[in-house]
Amino acid sequence: MNSGPLRHFVLVLRLNLRSLQALIYGYAVPLLFLLAFGAVFRDDTPALRHEMGQIFVITILGGACFGLPTGLVAERERGVWRRYRLLPTPTAVLVLGTLAARLVIVASALAMQAALAHAVFGTPWPVHPLQTAAAALAVTTSFLGLGLLIAALANDVPAVQALGQCLFLPMILVGGVGVPLSVLPDFAQRIAGFMPGRYAVHALQQAYASAPGLRGTGFDFLVLAVIGTAAALAGSLLFRWEAGHRIPRAARLWVPVALGSWLVVGSVAGITGRLRPLPTTGDDFAAVTAADIAGMDYSDLPGDQELAGRLDPPFTTLEQNARIAPFVARLRAWSPGTGDDSPQAVRSLVCVAAVADISADPREGRIARAVYDCLLSRFPRDFLARALAWVALYPHDGHVYNTIPALGLDRRPAPDLVRSRCVVYAKKYLGRIEGKLHD
Amino acid sequence: MDAPRPVGVRIANLHKRYGGTEALRGLNLEVHPGEIFGLLGPNGAGKTTALECLLGLRTPDSGTIEIGGLDARRHPRDVRAQVGALLQDAALQDKITPREAIALFASFYRNAGDVDTLLDRFGLREKASARFETLSGGQRRRLFLALTFANRPRLIVLDEPTSGLDPRGRRELHDLIRSLRDAGCTVLLSTHDLPEAESLCDRVTILHEGRVIADSPPATLVGSVESAGRIRFSAVPPPTEAACAALPGVTRAQASGGEFVLHSGDIHRSSVALMALLERDGSRLTAMEVLRPTLEDVFLRLTGRPWPDEPPQAGEGGRLP
Repeated sequence: MNSGPLRHFVLVLRLNLRSLQALIYGYAVPLLFLLAFGAVFRDDTPALRHEMGQIFVITILGGACFGLPTGLVAERERGVWRRYRLLPTPTAVLVLGTLAARLVIVASALAMQAALAHAVFGTPWPVHPLQTAAAALAVTTSFLGLGLLIAALANDVPAVQALGQCLFLPMILVGGVGVPLSVLPDFAQRIAGFMPGRYAVHALQQAYASAPGLRGTGFDFLVLAVIGTAAALAGSLLFRWEAGHRIPRAARLWVPVALGSWLVVGSVAGITGRLRPLPTTGDDFAAVTAADIAGMDYSDLPGDQELAGRLDPPFTTLEQNARIAPFVARLRAWSPGTGDDSPQAVRSLVCVAAVADISADPREGRIARAVYDCLLSRFPRDFLARALAWVALYPHDGHVYNTIPALGLDRRPAPDLVRSRCVVYAKKYLGRIEGKLHD
Repeated sequence: MDAPRPVGVRIANLHKRYGGTEALRGLNLEVHPGEIFGLLGPNGAGKTTALECLLGLRTPDSGTIEIGGLDARRHPRDVRAQVGALLQDAALQDKITPREAIALFASFYRNAGDVDTLLDRFGLREKASARFETLSGGQRRRLFLALTFANRPRLIVLDEPTSGLDPRGRRELHDLIRSLRDAGCTVLLSTHDLPEAESLCDRVTILHEGRVIADSPPATLVGSVESAGRIRFSAVPPPTEAACAALPGVTRAQASGGEFVLHSGDIHRSSVALMALLERDGSRLTAMEVLRPTLEDVFLRLTGRPWPDEPPQAGEGGRLP
């Protein structure tokens, strides 16, 4: 094995560090995006915790849609790849080296952003560092496939800019990358479901800031794998080593195949109910204070075995656990309970207990206990306390589910009733966490 | 360092078509180990396409290419490991240095040349750490030549190697090519410059419209048209260009600054007729020189067309559809 591919990989990195343009696009622009987000969300506590996924994806998109193809096409125009083709190593190996170098460049830019966000805005470090790294690797790899396709299609560097913007801008504006998905209108949220940016942000945000981490993000990774693979396959089949070579007409059919993967994943997301509009977590959550939690009044709560607000004692026997196990499995996989909007995920889970109770489901007490166990296992206690206080103090904030067929709760009680019952359960759960109520 | 064992090249019945244009029409040629072989032809004759097929940059429609007994199409990597090539329109990244470039290219070969030795050999030692964007045209050309030798090649393919070089650079390159042959390399070069081919090559093939129309040592080819040549003269008063062009044997007449050059397929008949014309018109001959035939005359004899006075097209092959 010769050392050529490794030397080429190192040289690509070195040449990037010598290029002012590469430094600007690779590091200065991500820094500007970080500062811009920081300026907008600096009053959040903690700042940027809910935006790091978006910031990371913007950086990855920039590296994949512009950085990679600009370098590849510029070298092709100059005849560098024509010269490389005379080497006894397959040229594809050198392309892989270029992709790997871009991966390192993007990863270093992400690390820089995380460090600066922590230092300047006090943004917490990732809740799950390894999962965040894994998600960043998956997102970058997928988007580099798109970059390879751009490099294959673009005849020159200006064409790279044009094609890159065709991907970059829609994902920034309506793809849930630049503008948070939850503030987009419903139709835009549905459109975003056909773009990989939405899934990339979700996976990264979950890993970075949510207690459950990457649990429940399997579909995101599937989407990224499908779209990235289709684009990389088309890009490698259409790739041209020399300037002026045209793409054969038959080979152009790979372009609709690559773009068709976006349609497929969007359609599957729609069919499986993943394109439902996201609720927004309002400013009220941020307004919840420790004093609010400490001063919560539990005196008006019904008893745990009364008609409304039933809550079984903890499961202590194998038989109890076995009876509820199938429901618990479905509850843990229920996507609204794993969303990237963690306070809303808490409210959604509390809805499960509320709907079961209102519907007089025979398992209502057990379901309420299962929901409590799920909340405890999924979220840190401090956060959970604050989120439950938010549900109790601001019943009309956020989104409620009044029917949950995926969990066998098919009845459809009035949303206001669900909201008021959510208050009961939120307080019961919060009281136990705070040690004010006992099982 | 042991001298490399030279390898030969055999191309048989090579066809290559670009859309409606047939660039190569059954090309056959053989390069013997250890010789300097010239591939000649005007623009569009198929030289660059032939070399690109040889190097694996283009896939021929049909035909066989053997280098050192290896089928170049079936064993491209083995072939590339023993071939060094200088392409017309290759470049490097702006920020790369000669040392980095040579080290990079050498690192892909098992039989790599030493970086410092190559820097010295091609006069790049002082510019070893300079960025490519700051190198002069001559320095860049020397760098590409150094890359050509990064793998201690047994066959060297040079596509229009002297284009863009000044006379001194050309002389230096000619000396280098001869030294390569003497060191045991086979050299295959394409050129548009017939005097260069005549002085440098052991053997030449002339391509015309994708086919070989002549294949011999230059002296043999020139000898085949020994009756041809050029007459350079001046006279007072000068004759008309049309009258000169109408002389027997003359295929082309050029007048410039009072000096005439007549291209003739039959020097004897044309000279006698020119004297008669001057005598008849009362012109006095002030200077006259008969020039021996060249490869241009060979081309004229074989194709019926004069050798075109056109510069080589940069990236001729790379621009074709």
